[in-house]
Amino acid sequence: MEKGIEPFEFKQCISIVKSTGKSAKNLGELRTLISKAGDEPIFHHTHQYFLKGHILEYANDFAEWAGVNLEERALAERLSCIDPYIMKSVSAVRKELIREIDSFLNDFPEPRDVVTGNEFYLNETVSLVFPVGVSAKNLAEFLVAVEHIDEGSIYYHFFDSRVRLGEGVVDDFSRWIEHGLGKKELANRIRAIDPFMHSIERIREHIMEVIEEHVRAEMEGVTD
Amino acid sequence: MKQYSGISPKGDLLLIRKLCEKLEGKSFLHVNSTREGGGVAEILHRMIPLLKDMGIDARWEVIEGDAEFFDFTKKTHNALQGNPEKFTKKMWDYYYEVNKRNSKKLDLSADAVLIHDPQPAPLIDFRQKSKKNTWMWRCHIDVSRPIQSVWTNLRKYVQQYDTAIFSVSKFAKSMPKVDEFIVTPSIDPLSDKNRELTLEEINEVSERFGIPRDKPILLQVSRFDRFKDPIGVINAYKIVKKYNDCRLILAGSPATDDPEGEAILNEVKEYAGTDDDIHILMMPPDHHKEVNALQRMSDVILQKSIKEGFGLTVSEAMWKEKPVIGGAVGGIPLQIVHGFTGFVVYSAEGAAFRIRQYLNNPEMASRMGRQGKEYVRNNFLLTRQIRDNLSLWYLSSFRGKNVIEL
Repeated sequence: MEKGIEPFEFKQCISIVKSTGKSAKNLGELRTLISKAGDEPIFHHTHQYFLKGHILEYANDFAEWAGVNLEERALAERLSCIDPYIMKSVSAVRKELIREIDSFLNDFPEPRDVVTGNEFYLNETVSLVFPVGVSAKNLAEFLVAVEHIDEGSIYYHFFDSRVRLGEGVVDDFSRWIEHGLGKKELANRIRAIDPFMHSIERIREHIMEVIEEHVRAEMEGVTD
Repeated sequence: MKQYSGISPKGDLLLIRKLCEKLEGKSFLHVNSTREGGGVAEILHRMIPLLKDMGIDARWEVIEGDAEFFDFTKKTHNALQGNPEKFTKKMWDYYYEVNKRNSKKLDLSADAVLIHDPQPAPLIDFRQKSKKNTWMWRCHIDVSRPIQSVWTNLRKYVQQYDTAIFSVSKFAKSMPKVDEFIVTPSIDPLSDKNRELTLEEINEVSERFGIPRDKPILLQVSRFDRFKDPIGVINAYKIVKKYNDCRLILAGSPATDDPEGEAILNEVKEYAGTDDDIHILMMPPDHHKEVNALQRMSDVILQKSIKEGFGLTVSEAMWKEKPVIGGAVGGIPLQIVHGFTGFVVYSAEGAAFRIRQYLNNPEMASRMGRQGKEYVRNNFLLTRQIRDNLSLWYLSSFRGKNVIEL
């Protein structure tokens, strides 16, 4: 092993949805739900949206419900623009959701009910975190690992870490590359990948592209 | 479990292995009401040997009852899905009595007990209070809008469980002392209904059923039941036919427990008339390989239900990389991410429009088919359901925690 370098241990998380038993049939009820909910349901419906593979039209479950079930596309767009990964805490996300809903209710104070069966069901998750038995001591091993790990592992290190570590904007991968390998410029290039705009598969591809490019440049002697 | 390597997500298989290491030697009892027939029995036949292989002392018991008992549970099943039925206190007493009798015959002393559906739900009353174990109730039916009095009677038992498991969020019940989880059902990629078939096997089925492969095939596999809207499917086919020549296969078994079944089948046959391109196939419920072949020879697969529990035929079709169209009911929208893994529709006209889109855009159809298969791989395979069952058992020791490190 390269001397002094702590290997990167890949982990994965698997989440099981737990019902809170609470639901909302209109926007007013949704506002109450959001304001009274603990952090876990808010985290699930916003941050963990990215676990779904980023394949829906909107960027969190509240926006999705507002657009698809309430058919309030303007509101859905505004809720969808709330980026949970640039906020310092789950409470900040909650405040922002309520601010957007209040602003909408101010203009349209009598929201209609959804069709029965299409209510918003407030859930949370219980997550199991486990090591996947893969570690990397250098960039080449890291690249091979990133290519083969499950999406759940990319999610855990690239998305979940930003909240877990409480630093707001840092993912596990770039932290290790900067602090473990001492490659700050490469770390910054990984941090420049927009977590909001890609599916997990595209994130994987982007990380690999950036690292491959760096390794190539290193071999040609044009980087630090 | 090795057979699933390369098919199921690596993380699911790894977590199953890790959980089995943690739970090794412990006992896991499943109880339901039938050894054969129905999705629950199908899954248990497969799941129990897999768990045993992994070092879990897994057992499967079936409760016994007479015709009176099963008539009653059939009625409760219907009422829990919203159909009014007549009940008396005597019936509920008998239901309890049969469960009590079963409790004396069955060994209920496992470390984890998973009771499937309402029939054996009262067994919880005979839980050994001294033993520290976990009791979970798995509800496989749509209880989102039950006849309230029936749910109130059943709830007396369900609320004594540690954990309740529902297939869809809107089925959950908000019981104060019960942890309620959402676990979707699954398909087995290695079963006869879903395994890869050879071209010869597919051709043999198409010849046996007399289906020429000369034009695109539309397929719906379901019971002949009003809720599956077979007439709507024929209407959609008729609209499509004006622009795209095609065949329609409606394949299913008669709904024997539905007095309307026969009438609906006749209605469907009459509605199809003498059109040689409509094939109405009646098949026994165990014709899994035949269903598999029909799905694989089709170009577009529909599940145009107007009421549905979960509708796993959608995942079966998606697993075969087929473009799918489904009604926006039950668990169908959980499987069909509209515009990505298929289309959700609300009418026969809407279904026809989407069929035409698929038939006229083969590239789009195959892209959505591929995406559908990956979506099923990540969400609806048997290994994910085994993973979740084991996880819920393991999690029962960590109640109140949201993140557990293994």
